[in-house]
Amino acid sequence: MIERTAIRTAAVSVAALATTTVAQAEGELNLYNWGDYINPAVLTAFTEETGIEVNLDTYGSNEEMLAKIQAGASGYDIVFPSVHMHDIMYQLGLLAKTDIGQSENFSNIDPQFIRAETDPNAEYCLPYAWGNVGVVYNKTKVEEMSSWADLFDLAASGEKIVLLDDPRETIGIGHIMNGTSVNSTDEAEVVAAADVIKENLENVSAFSYDSIPLVTSGDVAAAHWYVGANIFVQQNPDVLAYYIPSEGATMYQEDMCVLKDAPNADNAKAFMEFYLRPEIAALNVEQQMNGTPNIPAQELIPDEIAENKSIYPDAETLEKLQIFVDLGQDLRLYNREWTAIKTAQ
Amino acid sequence: MVGRDTSQGRKMLSLLGLLAPPTVFLGVFFITPLAIMVIYSFLEPGLYGGVVWNFYDLNYGRILGWADTRYEKFDPVYLTIFLRSVRLALTTVLLSLVICYPAAFWISRMPQGRKNFFLFLITLPFFVSLVVRLFAWVLILRPTGFLNQALMEIGMIAEPLNLIFTDTAVVIGMTYVFIPFMFLPLYASIEKLDMSLVEASADLGATRLQTFRRIILPVTLPGIVGGSIIVFIPSLGNFIVPSVLGGAKVMMIGNLIEQQFLSARNWPFGSALGMMVMAAVLLLLMIYVRMMTREEEYSTAAKVKES
Repeated sequence: MIERTAIRTAAVSVAALATTTVAQAEGELNLYNWGDYINPAVLTAFTEETGIEVNLDTYGSNEEMLAKIQAGASGYDIVFPSVHMHDIMYQLGLLAKTDIGQSENFSNIDPQFIRAETDPNAEYCLPYAWGNVGVVYNKTKVEEMSSWADLFDLAASGEKIVLLDDPRETIGIGHIMNGTSVNSTDEAEVVAAADVIKENLENVSAFSYDSIPLVTSGDVAAAHWYVGANIFVQQNPDVLAYYIPSEGATMYQEDMCVLKDAPNADNAKAFMEFYLRPEIAALNVEQQMNGTPNIPAQELIPDEIAENKSIYPDAETLEKLQIFVDLGQDLRLYNREWTAIKTAQ
Repeated sequence: MVGRDTSQGRKMLSLLGLLAPPTVFLGVFFITPLAIMVIYSFLEPGLYGGVVWNFYDLNYGRILGWADTRYEKFDPVYLTIFLRSVRLALTTVLLSLVICYPAAFWISRMPQGRKNFFLFLITLPFFVSLVVRLFAWVLILRPTGFLNQALMEIGMIAEPLNLIFTDTAVVIGMTYVFIPFMFLPLYASIEKLDMSLVEASADLGATRLQTFRRIILPVTLPGIVGGSIIVFIPSLGNFIVPSVLGGAKVMMIGNLIEQQFLSARNWPFGSALGMMVMAAVLLLLMIYVRMMTREEEYSTAAKVKES
């Protein structure tokens, strides 16, 4: 919550700065991003250099963003969908062709991060950031944890745990423990994965995104959370720890995309090119503590981030990270099981 | 004659002027969205949200029993969730009634100045965002929270109570949120209660319980019923309290509908579920209106007899 306010304040001050000092006629740029998902210093730097005023609005999930854009929310230039949502938005004709892949600095981007099936040559979007989804726990409650099995054992021992309120992430844990793909559309596999959660349901206190304060205070011993938990681990190193479970985990990647009806398409392209610079991508990682696809930027980020195995895992762990793809109609299997999980007690 | 006609015309005109704005308002903000919902609930869901314009009855089939395809399967779980929501909403109504009824009596017997101050206090929570207030309740109810600390300090409990993320937390939260809605209609009817009726009843030898049952309760009944309905309806469809205080583990019909519109991208099914809630609420309102008109007829009939 505090972070979010800080970002709002920063966005406001960025806007104020732009209008009062540098630019009059340079125009604006309207970003629509996940909450707490860009370092405000990046926006300030962009405004200082170009005089373009940056406005930032935030959303909490891909679906929320898509629903707003579909419902006709206009005025946004850049959105930050996950890879599977990038594909969906392409198919819905919501994205603008930017030819960012032709940009001079695009060679900075590690090609393995050009993941969207509908955009193999990066004609539309720029790979922005990536991370994994693992477990954050309170070290005063439990000594050492390293797997999903540990998490459920901890819960069975009477401690409280929280899982994410997200059908695919949470049923995904079941898939990983069963050794099936998190993108499985085989009904029996999805049911089996959901059963893993159902079997442990009694020991799961809640499904929530707001679990960090509860883990910090010790009200909850451990929670299913994003790699961004490292920000809080850094603030509270004696209390919190974050790990990628040994069975494997999911990973996510967001791409930076320009909307088809972007009012400031040129400024948007300028921002994308600005973000291709290694020092800017590194500046973002410094505060966000997540992964960047920008290869030279990885040289510039602080050692404690670059060497943190839960942020930049070794090749062996990396291989066990699965990324979500769009399931089309079969998403309903997951929603059906999700509803069943929520009513199974 | 002419004069009377114009004055009547003027009356009609002013009536029209007065009624037009609310009619337009209701038309735009109530009837139109409602019509969209009804239509959407009979359409095929689009793959990525939105709708496909084909007639489709399986949205209701999933709730009521005739859908049986890979993607649209009847599941009694939706009715279970609905019934659970009804149960939680009714508990909320009862609890807020038990709290507000004596409080309304107490406040209505206060001197004018203090009365206004207390009424102001009742409406005070509206000045703060609901979400902020609910997160404050998380701080109160969690194991290391204020309530558990206080109870352990005075020695009433040895172990923290498991309150947060339970049905109890949801009911506490909803009762807290909807208390003003119960209080105000109750207060209105209790304030009108003629104390001389109560005194007369006592004079004529009725016990306290008899006075309450035969005088106070019937006279304040409209307030009780009105308050209960105003609390029941939003409780039934509430989704923010169960998701914050229930930890999303307690799923109510409102959460299910929200899920259909967002993560499930199934707007028509969400609309169909919404229509189900609406049908239940309408039924309830019809019963209420029936009851009220009958009561009115009864009281006019009684008055006619008296004269």
